[in-house]
Amino acid sequence: MSEAGQTGASGPGGVARSRRMLYRLRTSWREPTALIGILLTLVFAYLIVVPITTLLYDSVEVQFGDQRRTGVPVGGLTTYYFNRALFSPVAGDLFWEPLSHTLSISFGAILISLSVGGVLAWLLGRTDLFARRWFATALIVPYMLPSWTFALAWRTAFKNREVGGQMGWLEALGFTPPDWLAYGQVPITIILALHYTPFVILLFGNALRRFDSQLEDSARVLGASPRIVARKIILPLMLPSLMSATVLIFAKCLGEFGVSYVLGLPVDYDVLATSLYRSISSRQPGVAAVIAIAIMSIGIVSLLIDARLVRESRRFVTVGGKGSMDRQTALGRYRLPATGFAAFIFLISVALPLLVLTMSTVMRVPGNFALGNFTLDYWIGSGLEFVAFPNGILLTPDLWQATWNTLKIVGLASVCSGMMGLLVGYVVVRSQVRAVSIFLRQVTFFPYLVPGIAFAAAYLSLFAVPRGPIPALYGTSLILILALMSDQMPYASRAGISAMMQLGKDPEEAAQVAGAGWFRRMVSIVIPIQKGALVAGVLLPFISGIRGLSLFVILAVPGTDVLTTFSLRLLDYNYTQAANSVVLIISAIAYFGTLAVQKMTKTNLADGLGG
Amino acid sequence: MPTIALREISKRYGKGGARAVADLSLEVADGDFMCLLGPSGCGKTTTLRMIAGLENLTGGEIAVGDRLVDAAEQGVFVPPEKREMGLVFQSYALWPHLTIEGNTDFGLRLRKVPKAEREARVTKVMTTLGIEQYRHRYPSQLSGGQQQRVALARMLAVNPEVLLLDEPLSNLDARLRLEMRTELKRIHREFGTTIVFVTHDQWEAMTLATRIAVMNTGTLQQVGTPEDIYDRPANRFVAEFVGNPPINIVDPGGDDGLGRAAKAFLARRGGAARAVTSIGLRPEAIHLTRDTATLPAGDLCGEVTLSAVLPTGGSWILELVSEGQKLHATTHAAPVWQDGEPLHFHVAAEAVHLFDGEDARVELAETPGAEARIAG
Ligand SMILES: Nc1ncnc2c1ncn2[C@@H]1O[C@H](COP(=O)(O)OP(=O)(O)OP(=O)(O)O)[C@@H](O)[C@H]1O
Ligand SMILES: [Mg+2]
Repeated sequence: MSEAGQTGASGPGGVARSRRMLYRLRTSWREPTALIGILLTLVFAYLIVVPITTLLYDSVEVQFGDQRRTGVPVGGLTTYYFNRALFSPVAGDLFWEPLSHTLSISFGAILISLSVGGVLAWLLGRTDLFARRWFATALIVPYMLPSWTFALAWRTAFKNREVGGQMGWLEALGFTPPDWLAYGQVPITIILALHYTPFVILLFGNALRRFDSQLEDSARVLGASPRIVARKIILPLMLPSLMSATVLIFAKCLGEFGVSYVLGLPVDYDVLATSLYRSISSRQPGVAAVIAIAIMSIGIVSLLIDARLVRESRRFVTVGGKGSMDRQTALGRYRLPATGFAAFIFLISVALPLLVLTMSTVMRVPGNFALGNFTLDYWIGSGLEFVAFPNGILLTPDLWQATWNTLKIVGLASVCSGMMGLLVGYVVVRSQVRAVSIFLRQVTFFPYLVPGIAFAAAYLSLFAVPRGPIPALYGTSLILILALMSDQMPYASRAGISAMMQLGKDPEEAAQVAGAGWFRRMVSIVIPIQKGALVAGVLLPFISGIRGLSLFVILAVPGTDVLTTFSLRLLDYNYTQAANSVVLIISAIAYFGTLAVQKMTKTNLADGLGG
Repeated sequence: MPTIALREISKRYGKGGARAVADLSLEVADGDFMCLLGPSGCGKTTTLRMIAGLENLTGGEIAVGDRLVDAAEQGVFVPPEKREMGLVFQSYALWPHLTIEGNTDFGLRLRKVPKAEREARVTKVMTTLGIEQYRHRYPSQLSGGQQQRVALARMLAVNPEVLLLDEPLSNLDARLRLEMRTELKRIHREFGTTIVFVTHDQWEAMTLATRIAVMNTGTLQQVGTPEDIYDRPANRFVAEFVGNPPINIVDPGGDDGLGRAAKAFLARRGGAARAVTSIGLRPEAIHLTRDTATLPAGDLCGEVTLSAVLPTGGSWILELVSEGQKLHATTHAAPVWQDGEPLHFHVAAEAVHLFDGEDARVELAETPGAEARIAG
């Protein structure tokens, strides 16, 4: 080869070299796999890399209307936005206070959910708790519902005169809750904690189940008391999974928008996500970009730490083949109190909130439990007192428009991401060109590191104005579909890659030898075999997309309202009953959808954690 | 039926990796049943996949008939789907979502064979292989042996001129294996297909092949008929790899009973074309006797002690010792000797395999003078 290089392209060596090149082209680039790989690379570069780059650039580029303040013409470079968000007199309101709120809420939520979830995981996994199996399912429910369902319930019950609309229940009963109980840090922390408790139960429960009880037995045989065993053996070994749960919850709290919006707004209690939202709605894209970058960086750092922890913990994986963990501790006289504790958590995290929400939609006056006060008018009545919505929610065309939008947008995005995921899987596993397969694997995983709200901000900054041949997409459904699709790609591509790995090359090669070209193999062999994976890869993101809020709240406009943003808009109009009904509808779809998908695909929620 | 010519093909996985196949040249003639035989990891599967076009070449070329299908230096590459070959995978690789019939007529559908003919051919091939009654089942509802036959049927249905088989029998039990071997031999006769068959089981190779190619660490060691391979191994690796129990290796330079016997034999035969550094004696070529009178002149003879008799059902393995050196012999007649009994052994000259310092085969010198000297 090197010799050929010296003789130059015209000599015989050149001919040999070009023939070699031809051979390489014919073998590596022969199939559409390569072409599709290139196409996918371009698509994801545009859908993931470009928006984020634009966002980064937005934070240092002078925006329209800021020429005078920055003293630089539009499009010039400036540090104005960083200064404003981080060091100016308003930086406290814009960034530092929201940051400290975000941190204190996250840590509070982590602390509570770890202790409550840890205890529950142990009770559910290793003791003779009453109705253990039932609790094991019931306590997971909060995780299937949108987190701000509970925020709405809280607001329905605890709100005071700080905001308009219907009275809160407690206030109606004669007790006016103080602001600190009605809004802000305390309720937000409690609600997020309860929402992420199931997450801890699942993660920690999994780790407990895999724990090799022989390790425990050896310590017992050596004379250690159960307490010492717990402290010296079990806890250290569980530490990695605890840390991992901590980091994941933190990353999720970081992008959490709905709860903070519903309960923080009335008292101007901002977290990073709501501050970002405010900056965007008050048309300060430069500052918004800085905040989004901050959220994104914290998210990336924490998830990298998690990846690190997971790798570390592999060093002492204790997957026990033999002593499986099905042994139970008898709770003795604590059995009843322990069951009471589990029941209490179920009550406050599932039963009460849903009950409050449901009741609020069928009561005329809050907090009045007289039979005559109940009505179905808010669902199916007409001639109501709200100007914009004189009919019950089920008779309001906007609801059906929003439902249709949800199905269309989330459905299309999920179908696209499911198919793209399989294609990415195919290319990653099959491509002869390593660079393509590595790039695809990593770029499709990247949105996982970016909280949804920051990702949405990136989309906004890319698509708010026409760029080149691409028109401004803001205000269309397309921007929502694209953003949601990219946001779902980490799960879709991971599912696709593992499905293709499992399939292996043989069935396809057998078809190839039998004479089937690429297209024929895809249609007759690969897709039919992967049908199950494809269905799961579409349905799971669909269910989680339906209850998503943070992505939509930035990108949706009234014309493209989905159910979640519609419910938020109703709340802004102080039409509590309707907002609550819509959230109940979303919860029902999410809950029954999850159950149906689990049945259909025989998967478990625990396997799809992080989704 | 075409011949397949592999010309100095080589394959390197990744950049700078070791060569899985190195400069391998092999001609598979029309109607051959060629076995690629060698230990695990020697590059058999790689070679087969290169023939099928599923791996590209690092160097060399492959021709089928007079058509060049693959040549790295000339930029020629015919993709697998255009090579019109059949390949049966070690894992069967049946398509789980298609019935047995769907699996079998896939290739015919691709070739747009009319329905009537398609059904006739599928039925014929299924009947031949005894899977007709399962035609509406799915692969997961069949046993390993049945799946294996479906994998074969799938390829035979399109009547390929070349059939490539990658250890297709390795997952079967002993009885099924025997059945399938007979089956394969019949298919080879009936369909007149050129077959390349990969195996690491020498017995399988011996019973099936018309010709065997022995490979080791990516290089070809010897090509020949089963008799060639067994009776005239080209080098020490082939001699040791083929045969069970394995061939006995004696060092003619050794200062022990066997070494001296070997040296004496070489001296009587007037030496060899090159210096001999090891001698191979197949266990069944070793004959034992109590008295020296019956020892044939010209044989390699020596003294041993019988140390153990291991019956293997119908035949016996005899463990012999000479000054601490072990030797294995086999016999089909019940041994009449006692453990610990001193015996004489002899091996006919044509059954003595000589190898030089490079482990290559050395022929005995054909010097009549030497013959005369021994005779006289
Ligand atoms: N895809 C691959 N990438 C890298 N190395 C490979 C690959 N496939 C095979 N090899 C290497 O090439 C060598 C030959 O492998 P091959 O599969 O041809 O062996 P084999 O003779 O078929 O062995 P076996 O009898 O175990 O099937 C081995 O050393 C193997 O590790
Ligand atoms: Mg192999």
